[in-house]
Amino acid sequence: MNLDFNNFYKNIDKIVKGSTIDLSKVEFVHPWSMVMICLLLIERKSDSNKKLILPSETETNTYLKRMRFDKILSELGYHEAKEGLDKVQVPGRNNINIHEVMHCYYRDEFNARLGRFITMFKNFGLNESDAQRATALVGELGNNVFDHNLGNWPTTVSGCIIAAQHYPTTHTIEIAVGDPGVGFYGSLKAAFPDVINDIEAIKLGLAGNTGRIGEIRGNGLKLIQRWTLQNFAGIVMIHSGNGLVIVDKSGMKDTKVNKILGTVAQFVINYA
Amino acid sequence: MVFQMIKFGNILNSRPAGHEAVLRAKQIINGSNDLEGIVLDFSAVEVLTPSFADEFIKGLKEIYQDKKITFKGIENNQVTKDTLASLGLIN
Repeated sequence: MNLDFNNFYKNIDKIVKGSTIDLSKVEFVHPWSMVMICLLLIERKSDSNKKLILPSETETNTYLKRMRFDKILSELGYHEAKEGLDKVQVPGRNNINIHEVMHCYYRDEFNARLGRFITMFKNFGLNESDAQRATALVGELGNNVFDHNLGNWPTTVSGCIIAAQHYPTTHTIEIAVGDPGVGFYGSLKAAFPDVINDIEAIKLGLAGNTGRIGEIRGNGLKLIQRWTLQNFAGIVMIHSGNGLVIVDKSGMKDTKVNKILGTVAQFVINYA
Repeated sequence: MVFQMIKFGNILNSRPAGHEAVLRAKQIINGSNDLEGIVLDFSAVEVLTPSFADEFIKGLKEIYQDKKITFKGIENNQVTKDTLASLGLIN
């Protein structure tokens, strides 16, 4: 099972089994699914019978270890799975097409690590200007996480989770940023009481509206869309609560999906 | 007076950082004899995000409504230019 964006939704019932997250059939994990899995693990953090079943393929576990997934497992208390990854040997040579999954609990931590993204994007093959633009996009996505959840995190786990992957043969980069926060609906409902579901809330956010009452804000997501579409011929995906909205050159599509804690946003970059 | 924005960092990101920078800039401007106008020099700044720019520049404009704010050192950074343009601060 190649756990890319579409396959994640097709196989969600095979992966999520109550308190167990079963990755046994998974052969490759794209950033979107990586962040989704992290959110699923966070959601189950307090379950006494929580369990993560690692992929059966050694190669997949090597990939997960290279992404420092073991660190996330340790943080969230999935000790059995963490011990499983500890047994996996990672070849010494770095793969510059993979970026380790990063969990920044606090804004300062996120800001301090943002500089690494310029280097990462350059290593992925972007020119200086595109690397700066892509870093600004990551910055804005991370800012949203902290701006809208500060003081209001639903669980004891806060912060943003970032994963990225470069696909050199297709000249594509995927960057996913997720958070176990209140989601678009939770953030916007006080300012927009007429909003009735997650899809509507995501669309309101994408249109430049903010839940911060009395403040003039809301440019971030509009700009993320514009730059991703115009400068990178890319795609923006946002899953919040049970709403999924995808924006690409053909317009905006939405669908109701499995409910998650918080939000995952991804932008896909195509470069020459 | 000229502000070398690189002194606030090479990646200028987030509203709280922009707000803090406004408070610092206010101290510097108020202690200066150069009262002509405010020049923000973005030379060597790698990334300017809309959040920081909005908070910092609009914050300065609010305090110094009688002073003209101009930009320098943005010629070679398309992203900084696009950020400022997106906020209606340059054409």
